[in-house]
Amino acid sequence: MRVWLLLVLALLLSIVIGAAAGHDWMSPADLLRALAGDTDLRSRLLIDWRLPRVLAAAFVGALLGLGGTVFQGVFRNPLAEPYLLGSAGGAALGATVALLVPLAAPQSLVLPVLAFAGAWAATMLVIGISRVAGAVDAAGMLLAGVAVAAVLGALRSFLMLALSDETVSLQIVLSWVLGGVQTPTWPILGLLAAISVACLALTLMLAKRLDVLGLGETMAIAFGLNVNRFIAFAVLAGSVVVAAAVAFGGLVAFVGLASPHIARWLVGPLHRPLLPASALVGAIVVTVADAIARSALPPAEIPLGLVTAVAGGPFFILLLARRLRA
Amino acid sequence: MTGIAANNLLVRRNGATLLDGLSLSLGPTGSVAIIGPNGAGKSTLLKVLTGIDKPSAGTVRVGDRDLASLSNAQRASTIGYLPQYFEPHWDLSVAELVRLGADRSDRLAAGAIEAATEKFELTALGRRRWSTLSGGERARVLLAAVLVVDPPVLLADEPAASLDIRHRLDVIRALTRRPDRLSVVVVHDLDLAFTFFERVVVIDRGKVVADGPAKSLIEDRRIDEVFSVRFDRLKTPDGWLLRASTTNS
Repeated sequence: MRVWLLLVLALLLSIVIGAAAGHDWMSPADLLRALAGDTDLRSRLLIDWRLPRVLAAAFVGALLGLGGTVFQGVFRNPLAEPYLLGSAGGAALGATVALLVPLAAPQSLVLPVLAFAGAWAATMLVIGISRVAGAVDAAGMLLAGVAVAAVLGALRSFLMLALSDETVSLQIVLSWVLGGVQTPTWPILGLLAAISVACLALTLMLAKRLDVLGLGETMAIAFGLNVNRFIAFAVLAGSVVVAAAVAFGGLVAFVGLASPHIARWLVGPLHRPLLPASALVGAIVVTVADAIARSALPPAEIPLGLVTAVAGGPFFILLLARRLRA
Repeated sequence: MTGIAANNLLVRRNGATLLDGLSLSLGPTGSVAIIGPNGAGKSTLLKVLTGIDKPSAGTVRVGDRDLASLSNAQRASTIGYLPQYFEPHWDLSVAELVRLGADRSDRLAAGAIEAATEKFELTALGRRRWSTLSGGERARVLLAAVLVVDPPVLLADEPAASLDIRHRLDVIRALTRRPDRLSVVVVHDLDLAFTFFERVVVIDRGKVVADGPAKSLIEDRRIDEVFSVRFDRLKTPDGWLLRASTTNS
């Protein structure tokens, strides 16, 4: 119980820090004044720009935490990550198309839809390849995912080079690929909140079966789990979560990898507590990383993905080293 | 009371025939040891009977029903399976593992978890994590997780083979002392097979080559043929000792 209280308090604190941080630092007093309904310029900046951005970062982080937990649970590999499995790559390709190809519909609508479509298609491709290759087990899928991710990354780079004739649009795609939460309007933020809650509910439905799958495929079948069907379903659910995260936050590396680990230290490996804990950890990590991205080099903004990669890379190496030693 | 029967099972994998038209009717109660040399098809048979592996041809009947017609939940609570090797991917606690075993049954008897925890002396270990347990403790946790639902049929792939003799005996006793239930255990130690089990089935090259009550089967020379050695059969106060003869026949 105390762990949950601490996690929620840490999230609130990181949101306050996130709202205060930026080119122009705010004090908690400014924040209180703005929340009380003050309408001066600083308060409006906070309410219309800072706060939606900070909350969007928190939701993106929560989605990354959920997605990473599902993928690590499905592949029973603590080094599994949405970015290894093609789903993030597919989402990124879909979003790149939305950013570079002039389409009739408004970009704010097309981008999330194409990101969903890309993540879903990439995931189906991974499942399909591993089926055809006769390797529907976790290792086969992981390898298929790595191959698909590489191809999708190349396609995305090719699109970026071929379709951007003006440097501006290339910069937009690049900054998005490097990861960054766009400041949403309050209605869009409401949509993101609803999607995040739906994703939490969806992944919690998988919790018990992820635990059983963690006993190994043989024991899972003996304990009544239809392993192949469950893996396919859980991968799909995980890619929905990842697509939502990518649509709103670009490619933010390592959060999906690190959050489940930190959450496992705090609440243990059972998925029912692990999923919400991992979402909270992800939210805290991305909120803080986004605050650093906005305030470290004023007036410029560092891409969020660079901040998480700089912090997450060493974390990944540490995990790898520990695993190789064990 | 539920027996299990294999009818003409054929399993082929990568060109090799692992089960070659094997038929066998077991139960509905009692203890059965399955013996045979390496590669005879013992583990494959257990996996097919559990529903983990699908046969290329042939059927498995559980009670009066076809195994394939059972729902996953019915299958999991009717047939308990103990693997030869078990290592969970996440470092769960003892209580969590037993609970996962219990949750596969939707009609768990009241107090079953507490009873299993007590029976396998795990009460004091409840919060301990798998990585901190000794081999004997791990075996008891696995037994508790599989037996907590008191499955009518138990199929065990000698889960104790790597334990020291005292823990091995503990495990074999827990597996065989299940009144009104069927226990089928792949046993590598022939003395244990003939001492603790009522019936012994000898398997070789995917087929049943001998099958009968332990007391009479012990004299059967086909055992020597199957294992390609000559056994000296020594009677002890509580069972039999089979010793591979050191002199040529």
